[in-house]
Amino acid sequence: MTMRTKPKFVGVLSCSGEEEPEGTIARNAVRLVMEKYRPGITVSLCLPLYLAGDSGEREFAKLAPVIAVDGCEKACAKLSTEKYSGKVSGAIDIRALLREWGVDDHLSRSRPGELEWELTERVAQEIVKKIDSLIQEGELATKPEKEEAN
Amino acid sequence: MGVEMDKLVVLPCNGLDKEAGALARELSLHLTRQGAKLVCPVLYQRSPARYKKDLAWGELLVIDGCKTGCASKLARERGLKIARRLNVAEMLDKMGIKGQKDPVPETGHLSALLSLLPDMLLLRKEEEEEERFEEILFSESVEMKEFMVGKFLFKVPVAGYYFNENDCWARVEGNLARLGVSDYVQQSAADMVFFDPPEIGAEIDQFGEAGSLESTKTALDIISPFSGKVKAVNHRLVENPELVNLDPYLQGWAVELELADFSSERELLMDCNEYYSYLREKVEREFREKYG
Repeated sequence: MTMRTKPKFVGVLSCSGEEEPEGTIARNAVRLVMEKYRPGITVSLCLPLYLAGDSGEREFAKLAPVIAVDGCEKACAKLSTEKYSGKVSGAIDIRALLREWGVDDHLSRSRPGELEWELTERVAQEIVKKIDSLIQEGELATKPEKEEAN
Repeated sequence: MGVEMDKLVVLPCNGLDKEAGALARELSLHLTRQGAKLVCPVLYQRSPARYKKDLAWGELLVIDGCKTGCASKLARERGLKIARRLNVAEMLDKMGIKGQKDPVPETGHLSALLSLLPDMLLLRKEEEEEERFEEILFSESVEMKEFMVGKFLFKVPVAGYYFNENDCWARVEGNLARLGVSDYVQQSAADMVFFDPPEIGAEIDQFGEAGSLESTKTALDIISPFSGKVKAVNHRLVENPELVNLDPYLQGWAVELELADFSSERELLMDCNEYYSYLREKVEREFREKYG
């Protein structure tokens, strides 16, 4: 008989965000979730390290639920996770979200301004929703810590 | 600046976990504003054809963030010719700046790196020339055999290396041998922080000490599989002991010996296949003892 204990952490894997402003939003949104909104239960996975074959990162992604946060429809984070560690527990495509929110402004990839940070906050909340639903569904052996006041 | 930015193709690590990764990204964005072309490491891994034209257009500059060197690994795996290489963590060390865990880059750190960038680009070019000469003798490609115990993956070369029971290796080319420690040692010892090399010209006995390493967890002697005279030591390892962690069988070499008695001494050592079986049994035993 195999006993499986529930993971205590959720992994969040952001796209590398090198070429597009949505990538910058992805990176920063993951950081916000990790440090501000769901600290203690969110672990960021480093995508370049993961792809370079790091066994620790890949094993973690096999054992714990992973939310992939992609800047665009190329879905590098999601597809890479599924290639090496199995299905993701949640996926976000920021470009699709921006379309849904009616955002068609020119965004900066290297110097985020007020608009970029506002969108980053909104994306962070989308990630939080996915984390919380994993908790509600009993996928994690933990409860979210109290949010920091904004 | 002395370096043609408009002929640089930049492959940064772009890591997310530490400040160094974020700084690698900032440096690459800075260079692109000056005309360099950019290769996204993740997209390149998934769709290499997309960057074929860019990579043929200019010289490749690899920017690693932390000392794991993911961007360098990626370039090597894909057989890319690296013209220049920068490592943000090393650059910060050189300036006496302590990198932070927080992945948000400090403005001061970025400015400091930018001020050092022109010199570093020129310096790295010269270092690469020297490295290329060494690589001709001890060629850079080694095929590995792997096994996994728990979540740990252990690598042993398929051929060309000799091992002793102290988990130290020798790679022999003609009458010269390079010495180092195995992947098992680097994983058990954790991050290497110090390498104390022997003196050039020193005579080392078989199973004698050929320098020592210190990690965040332990100190260990490098036990030489062969006897011989020290011809060279790896100066890069003195400056960057973490090369043992990054690449234990190639860049992490410690000492080069002129062999005294190869044919009789090799009888007391294990070849790659023998060491693979020996190590696997040892690691599995240790794992059972630890976890039941």
